[in-house]
Amino acid sequence: MKKPELLAPAGDLERLKIALLYGADAVYIGGAFNLRANADNFKLEEIKEGVDYAHKLNKKVYVTVNIAMHNKELEKIKDYLFKLDEIGIDAIIVSDPAIIKIAKETNLEIHLSTQASTLNKEAIEFWKKEGVTRIVLARECSKEDIIDIKNNIDIELEVFIHGAMCASYSGRCVLSNFLTNRDSNRGGCSQICRWDFDLYDENKHLEGEKPFTFCTKDLSMANHIPELINIGVDSLKIEGRMRSIYYIATVVKVYRKLIDDYCHNSKNYEYNLKYEGILRRVANRDSITQFFDGNFGKDVQYYNGRQEITNQDFLGLVLEYDENMKLAKLEQRNYFKKGDKVEIFGPNKTFKFIVQEIYDEDKNPIDIVRHPKQIVYLKVPEKVSANDMMKIC
Amino acid sequence: MSKVAAIINNIDEAKNIQNYINAYLLPLKDLSINYIHTFSLEEIIEIKKLNKEIFAIINKNIHNNELKKLEKALKEIEKLNINGIIFYDIALVNLKQKLNLKTPLVWNQEHLTTNYGTVNYWYNKGIEYAYLSSELTKREIDEIKNNTKAKLFVNIFGYIPMFTSRRHLVKNYLETFNLDSKQNNTIKKEGKTYPINDTNLGTTVYSDYILNAVNLDFSNIDYLVFNSNLIDNKDFEEVLKDFKENKENKFLKETGFLYKETIYKVK
Repeated sequence: MKKPELLAPAGDLERLKIALLYGADAVYIGGAFNLRANADNFKLEEIKEGVDYAHKLNKKVYVTVNIAMHNKELEKIKDYLFKLDEIGIDAIIVSDPAIIKIAKETNLEIHLSTQASTLNKEAIEFWKKEGVTRIVLARECSKEDIIDIKNNIDIELEVFIHGAMCASYSGRCVLSNFLTNRDSNRGGCSQICRWDFDLYDENKHLEGEKPFTFCTKDLSMANHIPELINIGVDSLKIEGRMRSIYYIATVVKVYRKLIDDYCHNSKNYEYNLKYEGILRRVANRDSITQFFDGNFGKDVQYYNGRQEITNQDFLGLVLEYDENMKLAKLEQRNYFKKGDKVEIFGPNKTFKFIVQEIYDEDKNPIDIVRHPKQIVYLKVPEKVSANDMMKIC
Repeated sequence: MSKVAAIINNIDEAKNIQNYINAYLLPLKDLSINYIHTFSLEEIIEIKKLNKEIFAIINKNIHNNELKKLEKALKEIEKLNINGIIFYDIALVNLKQKLNLKTPLVWNQEHLTTNYGTVNYWYNKGIEYAYLSSELTKREIDEIKNNTKAKLFVNIFGYIPMFTSRRHLVKNYLETFNLDSKQNNTIKKEGKTYPINDTNLGTTVYSDYILNAVNLDFSNIDYLVFNSNLIDNKDFEEVLKDFKENKENKFLKETGFLYKETIYKVK
């Protein structure tokens, strides 16, 4: 049984390191020319630092270069690709064939972005002949599609397993262009699909209990990891380059465990509903398997006004630990106080305890930690490490 | 001199406008989306008798289980000796090579047909035509023309599809809240009305306006496309007649993105 790669998003260097520490085999990041133009994208020197960090762990970094270029971007792309090649990234993720043509002048490995909306083996055969080594399949692929493609074409397949979905076929939505003048296919998507609209039949307002929206539930394939591994999918991808370190750590850790558990002992593997609960806690929308099982009826829609669940479980990030004093230095993320039952988790540990002693930055005792990013010291009964996280139980 | 190409609703309309156009663009039944009306092979044969250029449109995303249907359609179309197939999915490029088909292809990835580098990429693969995105500025269109040998199609009249989904967005909403509707649906937001059409192949949402750029100088462009989707047949015929006679039509002038550059980085 081949163990698939677990591929995580990373919006910046901090998230890159967290994703890799918590169990991702590879991360994908955005530099210039990617579809999250308004994220904290990586500068070339940051890409270099991220690649060096990942390679030391024997892990990989892929760079998304997946916009649909206009003429003016054409002039700049060549220089950028050559610089990425010099840095030694592990692959670029592209959708515009003009970029493929230029990339072939370098040593860059080429992955085809889901933005190319690749759904069938004929298209994949074409891209393989063009030098593409991996296809990020369209989110609309069913299980049968993936099996048929894998059985017929010898190419790496990457499949989304978790996160938000486009309501449209990728690349076929310019709502953002028309309604906000932001080019969705060059990274300016303003997520009009999450807006509410009034639906009409001629002049009759079709008004349900919640407003009409394009919005869909998120994707979660936690319960289908064994099927994807058995099919032979090469890379399992988590969506969300704009997500927090807490979200990334939590989701990566769960999928790492699911993959490892199944690959270690597939005969006795049992899906543990506990993981679903953990994933649900960090999500801000309901999730479902979407197209994998051929279901894209009403159950995939998310009608909830514009409300999304906000999560205040993440209490703080461990910065360091004094073993002698059993004191963890912590950067606060959400309110907590003495007497709270909390959990600390890291890449390889999880334990619970009740907060009993808190000190401010000058080591004066305090009862409550109110301020975002406030530095405090906390008595912790077990050894913890930098980048462990504390959450409410 | 540009040719006039029309996307039409039915055979009668084809006959009525034949004096004003050079080419018909005909969405193929079950393999095209974003069009209100599609055409069977038999209807395409019928329209071909009008002795105009014919381009079949196969612009849906091809799901893996639709490949056999696509291959069959391509073989049938090959026998018709038409001028080209306007395509979205790259499966068509591979099948054309594998089946050694002669019918030319028109690269039309809708919102992704946006630069001359990619137009030339496909041109060098033997794809002689490109149908440009409606989200380009006129300057960008002119730049593409100046940097390619490919023949170009440009939309200059009609509603523009701005969203295409496999999902049944109207049907799902109606089912969820036990509502009933026939067709002719629209969605409204901030005083604007957008047509929305949910078919067995998925959902399309169109622009709130009719692009009406017929008065601009596109004489360098090979095919100027007039799209009759959601537009009354008589009005459409009148627009084409006015264009031929170099007269202004009755619709509001609307240049879409031709003079409005989109942004994508806001901070």
